[in-house]
Amino acid sequence: MDRSGISIASRAFAGILPVGLALLGAIIANTPLSLTGGIVPGPLLGLMPIYYWGLVRPDLMPPFWAFAAGLLEDVLSMGAPGVWTVSYVVAYALIDRQRDAFAGLSGFGAILGFATVCSLACASAYLVESIYYWRLAPFAPVMSVLAMSIVFYIPAAMFFGTVQRRLVGPLRGDF
Amino acid sequence: MANGTWTSRRTRGYQLPLAVLFVLAVALVLIGKAQSTLFDRARAHITDWMQPELAVLHRPFDWVSSGWRNLGDIFRTHEENIQLKAENARLKQWQTYAVSLEARVKRYQLLLKAVPDPALTSVLSHVIGRARRPFLETMILDAGSANGVKPGQAVIDSRGMIGRIFLAGEHTSWVILLTDLNSRIPVVVEPGHASAILAGDNARAPALETLAQGVVVHEGDQVVSSGDGGILPPGLPIGTVVADSGGFRVALLADPSATQDAEIVDFKSPVEMPSAAGAKDLPISAAGLPPAMPQPAPVPGNANAPGAMSAPLASGTASAPVKPPAQMRKPNIAAPPSPDTGPADDQ
Repeated sequence: MDRSGISIASRAFAGILPVGLALLGAIIANTPLSLTGGIVPGPLLGLMPIYYWGLVRPDLMPPFWAFAAGLLEDVLSMGAPGVWTVSYVVAYALIDRQRDAFAGLSGFGAILGFATVCSLACASAYLVESIYYWRLAPFAPVMSVLAMSIVFYIPAAMFFGTVQRRLVGPLRGDF
Repeated sequence: MANGTWTSRRTRGYQLPLAVLFVLAVALVLIGKAQSTLFDRARAHITDWMQPELAVLHRPFDWVSSGWRNLGDIFRTHEENIQLKAENARLKQWQTYAVSLEARVKRYQLLLKAVPDPALTSVLSHVIGRARRPFLETMILDAGSANGVKPGQAVIDSRGMIGRIFLAGEHTSWVILLTDLNSRIPVVVEPGHASAILAGDNARAPALETLAQGVVVHEGDQVVSSGDGGILPPGLPIGTVVADSGGFRVALLADPSATQDAEIVDFKSPVEMPSAAGAKDLPISAAGLPPAMPQPAPVPGNANAPGAMSAPLASGTASAPVKPPAQMRKPNIAAPPSPDTGPADDQ
């Protein structure tokens, strides 16, 4: 393979990496294995790449993939169909509308930005679940998922940062 | 300026797809509500496909999680041992009492010619996965429709009921735990035989709901399955009543987070048939006329023949004789503990 061929392949790999991580996150989060015997719920690993690359490289994270990650989460989680699909699309809508505000955040602010988006996703899921079964769902499990997601976002953001710098790279128009 | 152009260009481009995707997602919720089997089939296939990997992977995960649990127990071993010895002595008294009562009940049943309880068969399975999501608590078992597992069947461990099967793949099945938000089962509170609904709300102890007015329930009362609806067998031990703020909850006997093996109980509701009428029960005899000639004996295998069902009912095999799968066996929970096995042996 010549140099241009390698370049195209690496660019294609970099292009699918954010989406791949989002789908992989949804799969890992819903694998029915738990180190704590199910005492601590899993974080929303699928939402983290959506938030990160939805801000940094939205061209690589179009809204369809937020829909797809939510759908995968729904299928694997055994819950009511569409709950996480709706919440991921709603979360993406917030990222899309407030991209400039969120993209300017760093450090603690960036975590706060994710917490805002994750809160909206959890609130949407709670609302849809309550309407679906026509009774108020318990609040504590959603809160624990939200807390776990925020805690897990700190190392995840560091990992995403490394992947972004070394593999994905910035958008050409950003230079 | 360039950055602003970049942002607005993308934002406008995504507005329509986002709206369309939102509508699609809402449609998905509605379709899922109307046709949940579409999703369930896909889920069952995925779990069946993952079964070999899950069976291997769950071991180290369970090992770590049980390690966490046992860590706290180390510091309580001495007092727990004393407590268990006292409980063991008390249970042995109850065991003797239960064995004598069981013999008495059997004698009464014989005297009354009562229809015996239907024979239960069960499938022994291993837990290969546990999932706890915000709105769902479940576990995966390595037995499916190939082993005769069907949705709705009760799942028990050596201590009591854990939940029900809600999705059965070919080689795997998903259990909805009693603590799950969507779990509702009919129960009775003993003594007193008060009917109630055990409703999960993702708390460790599910709530006891819809108790009839005037029913008195005390803390420590036993809760067992009622068998109403004919899906779950009656009398499966579930837990004990504990008082909660303004209501009652049930402390479950089984601990789903620690269960490694579970039994799936196959219960077939007994078909209630009226007893065959004797010659003196017929109106013709009551009128003082001679009885009709006796009918010829029914042809063997003719299910429609009169009396074809009453014989198996009387002999204690009320349910249709279905050949049990290889793993099927009698559940051990219904049998009283034998005198040589008890908590004392575990210490």
